[in-house]
Amino acid sequence: MTDAAISTRKDMSERKLGMLLLLPAAVLLSLIVLYPIATLLFTSLHSVSNANPQAGEQWVGLANYARAFDDDRFWHSLWQTVLYIVITVPGALLMGLGLALLANKPFTIKWPVRLGLLLPWALPLVFCGLIFRWFFEYETGIVNDLLVRLGAEPLRWLSSPTLATIAICITIIWKSSSFMALMLLAGLQSIPKSLYEAAEVDGASKWQQFVEITLPMLRPAIFVALIFRTITAIQTFDIPYAMTGGGPGDATETLAMYIHKTTLDFLDFGYGSTLATLMFLLSLVATSGYLKYTRRSASRSGED
Amino acid sequence: MKLWKTLLTAALGVAFAANVAAQQTTLRIFTGGQQRPDVMRKIADEYTKRNPNVKVEVEVGGATSDAQQQYLSTVLSAKDSVLDLVLIDVIRPAQWAAQGWAEPLDSYLGADKGKILPTYLKAYAEANQVNGKLMALPYFADAQFLYYRKDLLEKYKRPVPKNWDDMIETARIIMDGEKAPQLQGFSTAGAPIEGTVCTYLVPLWGTGSDITKDGKLNLDTPEARQPFQLYGRMKQAGVLPKNVAEIPTDRIRVDFQAGNVVFAQSWGYFWNRVENDTDSKVKGKVGVTILPHDKGGKSATCIGGWQVAVSAYSKNKQEAVKFARYLSSPEVSKMQAIMASHLPVFPSVYKDPEVVKANPWFADALPVVETAKSRPVSAQYPQVSDAVRSNMNAYLAGTKTTDTALNDMKNRLAPLYR
Repeated sequence: MTDAAISTRKDMSERKLGMLLLLPAAVLLSLIVLYPIATLLFTSLHSVSNANPQAGEQWVGLANYARAFDDDRFWHSLWQTVLYIVITVPGALLMGLGLALLANKPFTIKWPVRLGLLLPWALPLVFCGLIFRWFFEYETGIVNDLLVRLGAEPLRWLSSPTLATIAICITIIWKSSSFMALMLLAGLQSIPKSLYEAAEVDGASKWQQFVEITLPMLRPAIFVALIFRTITAIQTFDIPYAMTGGGPGDATETLAMYIHKTTLDFLDFGYGSTLATLMFLLSLVATSGYLKYTRRSASRSGED
Repeated sequence: MKLWKTLLTAALGVAFAANVAAQQTTLRIFTGGQQRPDVMRKIADEYTKRNPNVKVEVEVGGATSDAQQQYLSTVLSAKDSVLDLVLIDVIRPAQWAAQGWAEPLDSYLGADKGKILPTYLKAYAEANQVNGKLMALPYFADAQFLYYRKDLLEKYKRPVPKNWDDMIETARIIMDGEKAPQLQGFSTAGAPIEGTVCTYLVPLWGTGSDITKDGKLNLDTPEARQPFQLYGRMKQAGVLPKNVAEIPTDRIRVDFQAGNVVFAQSWGYFWNRVENDTDSKVKGKVGVTILPHDKGGKSATCIGGWQVAVSAYSKNKQEAVKFARYLSSPEVSKMQAIMASHLPVFPSVYKDPEVVKANPWFADALPVVETAKSRPVSAQYPQVSDAVRSNMNAYLAGTKTTDTALNDMKNRLAPLYR
């Protein structure tokens, strides 16, 4: 028997052992991830009549998807969700980057800065929504109080579609910036100091150092933060739910809120599952888009 | 030998415990935070005193009817047996019957059903029967009233308004006279919540019309526009709060209690709070009357109130029904009236001297409750409610006109009434 044959046999048995060790995790994953997704897809092809739920689930094929296509409320909630993503993801990235750069400064006492960064992130979303709802409240809110002190008219922050969207975006950015900052801070601390020292010797300005060293070195961290943040932004629910309840009318309702309403209030599990499947697809598209972009840029930097 | 003894003792212990459990029943009842769980606790303790074999746990959840139902939908869709009894809103029995969540009580009551049903206020006996089956028993009654500031009306020598236009005029006169910028003329629920359904329905009913007629949608009438036009007039006169589209039910009470509202449309609990709360600035200055109507129309009001349902998944249905019958007795109605100003579900209790002493206005409330109307009865009520409230809310916020709000409402209701 040659050495090579022995080593392949060893490889095989090790591989088997590896597979065996992975099995529990695989079973657990399929139970808590694959099974619910399969059930969701299955339910989305069925319909339960609310007027007569005892009749059970009826197979309806793609009828629920056709219904979503014709449903103005679905398109509006989707648009509103996209609006929140487009405004709050870059907004939180910029705020988070600023905060991370600030926190990366050599403070003598680090804990107040770290605490300030962690606190918004640790606060439950619904609390955050309720707190900001009081900030933006018409009669007793701090924002209108400020406006009145400055001699302006108080604004109906929570019952005008535009102002409510702005108020919700401000809240989401405040809440999610700290998560961004934490991710970016970790990235910043992994950049070797020697690069900056070399740049300084070469006479690069602070801005040049930021553009030429910090940003490129931070790119992986930025992408991970963006992916996480975008996926949670697609699922935006708690903050608008607590601040406006979707009002006025359905103006500030997100896709996740519409799904919640359809499933838990209307008990329309079939259509609710269809909407949830569409949201799942949206997440998939967004994530794969990011991943493709990172892979391409990674291979390009490999060629350099 | 030693092991054998231990096993025997353990087995005996289990048998003994099982025997005790058979005699001792623990019932769990769910109630919303606004339905005075403290009073429910006292009533349950009274029941345990008389039935020592029954213990009652009171579970409190959800401040609003919607929040409670979301929780209950989750528990009951999972067929969880944790709850034995549930307090449900008067709008729910049809949905609960359709979903099979409530145990029909007919077979448990037997011949008693025919005897006890006529003793209730007619509206509640009807509201709890779905297709001839008794789904729940009434716990307390409720209706919307017009609360007003007696002191301000006297100061400006204005009578208690009978119709909406008089009310707007009076509110305007008082607001102009008082010159207090935070003073609101008339406050009612306007946020996208259940209470806002009544904000639309009360003026609609005042015209004699309704959302449906003979089971068909009936919104192509000039009467269906009336509520929007009424609130439009109020907005123009500036008597509605500027943020009316942000106002939920209990906010009206908070504003009123702070002395910032002249007229308010609200439920029975309002009186007890504005007259008794320590921070109320309007104690002894509050009047209560029937809601106004259009010139030539009739006053109408929304029926409210809470019912005791027995969960279809309870493991102690016999005991649960017994407790439900106690909760829905004249004796408990009286206890609630005195402790929480909850309107009784029996006409006879309204005249009880002790009840009248605690709530002098109950004598006038009886005719109001007797003529109160039910919101549309539907197994799909949550959808009906959503269509009405979100469009009323959008109109009040100024993002929809009468035409767009009414049209959107019709389009959303149409599939439910095909």
